[in-house]
Amino acid sequence: MSEEEDLDLLALQRQLDDAFQTTRPRPAFEDELWLRIQSRRPIWQRLRESLSGLVEGFREAPAVPSVAVAIALIVIVGVGILTRGGLHFAGSGGSTAALAPADNAGPGSAARLPAPAFSQIASPTVPLGGGVKASPVLTLPVPSVITWTGRLNVTAATLPVFRYQEPTSADANQFAVSLGIAPAIQPAQGALGTYTEDALTLVVTGSTPQPAREPSFTLTDSKSSAVASGSDPIVVATAYLSSHSLIPTWPYQVDVQRSGATVRVRFLRLFDLASEGQVSLINGVGDPYGIEVDLVAGKPTVVETGPLPLSLDAVSYPVISGDQAVRSVLSSSAPAANSSIPTVRLTKAELVYVLVWAGDHSFYEPAFLFSGTLTDHGVTHQARVLVPAVAPPFLSP
Amino acid sequence: MVGDRPPFEDLYRDYLGRIYAYVRAQVSTSADAEDITAQVFMNAYQAYGRFEARNTSPVAWLFRIARNATTDHFRAYGRRERLRRTIEHQPMAEDDPSRMAEERLQYRALLAHVARLPERQRDSIALRHSGLSFEEVGVLMSCSEDAAKMLYHRGLKALRDSVAKEGA
Repeated sequence: MSEEEDLDLLALQRQLDDAFQTTRPRPAFEDELWLRIQSRRPIWQRLRESLSGLVEGFREAPAVPSVAVAIALIVIVGVGILTRGGLHFAGSGGSTAALAPADNAGPGSAARLPAPAFSQIASPTVPLGGGVKASPVLTLPVPSVITWTGRLNVTAATLPVFRYQEPTSADANQFAVSLGIAPAIQPAQGALGTYTEDALTLVVTGSTPQPAREPSFTLTDSKSSAVASGSDPIVVATAYLSSHSLIPTWPYQVDVQRSGATVRVRFLRLFDLASEGQVSLINGVGDPYGIEVDLVAGKPTVVETGPLPLSLDAVSYPVISGDQAVRSVLSSSAPAANSSIPTVRLTKAELVYVLVWAGDHSFYEPAFLFSGTLTDHGVTHQARVLVPAVAPPFLSP
Repeated sequence: MVGDRPPFEDLYRDYLGRIYAYVRAQVSTSADAEDITAQVFMNAYQAYGRFEARNTSPVAWLFRIARNATTDHFRAYGRRERLRRTIEHQPMAEDDPSRMAEERLQYRALLAHVARLPERQRDSIALRHSGLSFEEVGVLMSCSEDAAKMLYHRGLKALRDSVAKEGA
């Protein structure tokens, strides 16, 4: 081996040393995992420690900050209050561990999640150009005969649940500043902030429980140079988003809706899962959504609306299989012999993510979306059924 | 260190980062690395009461669990995808950008090259640069110390060639 080769390899070894020494998990991970480990200790042991110098035990713990200790105390002492929305996290550093089960953890050791469901106030989708699109049937009549003829191959044993902390007015202000829009004017009712700058108006709203919606923004530009006619609307919309630094940081797929002179370009949000590929985020009626840009040919007004950029924590939860989801749906079917009751024919199912509102923090949770038709007294409707993917023991009753 | 049995908390504090780096060098995303690292320490915590310090050092024991967990990960669902990417010379899957900021970008490419090495070469490099001696690497890989050194040096040369090939 030549001296030059030796030097090459030595240099490579030094790079490897650096790479391994500087590759570390994100800062919150150490605390999160430590809390998960602590939460698996026997309850009697935790209670005993809580009564006799618990803090001493944590002083020995590695780099667990006081916030994490506080959360651990909640986990230990407050086992009985780990219910829907019952946990409150001390700042963003509070992180996911306190809500998170280990991949194999029993349900008793973790906070349970609120279950995803279709909106109880299923506001009909308003299509571009006005009018009202018939909503799909989201609650199947009882009794009904349910059949399934599709395929659902989901093999993951765990899937991530994403959580965000509800933003404040200060966060809304910061977002406005990032768009170059300031100062704030008196917020509209229910908004976190309302801002104007020349021809731009920005309204930022917080999460809403029914229908569940994450914090969102609406930006109206009344003097835009963007036009839809004669240009590829996707290119125009993308350029427009880019000019405001609003290109989604999440994966998306684009579709275009047209009505008269108006073109709506939708950047539909996807979640990238290592095991299952990209899956759609759906709203309270089962439709995909994301950022929308409305362009009106010949007019200088552009309206864009979409989820506020948020920091998400991710934690893996055990999930049911596709077969279990199918069995769950079919379990409520009436016997097929009775021909006078409604018939539900489900033909398609997919893994999706659904926003689940939970107060000062909310979740994007995996679910199975079944779709097909409902026939009742000779009239056929579109039908959808949502089945939570997170294993039932990890969901609030 | 054989014979000592430090508190589990010390093990956790001292080796979480190194175990993570060892795993991260072999899987394509930091999310996978976190999942596996979490599994490693969960398993280690459960088993620590039965750990016999006479037989091996806690560090080697921990890396054995990490090695098994990583192998299980590939067996479970990652192996086929990883091989596909290797065969197609595709870059490894990108993480969430917010996570990427937490790793030094200049080393991501290098670790991606490590991840594409043959399994035993990759393992020897990852174990060695996680701070283990060649003797410990050999024990973990069920081979002699000399064989571990040979695997490591072959891996190092393959890595150099891989990096040079991409740079060419």
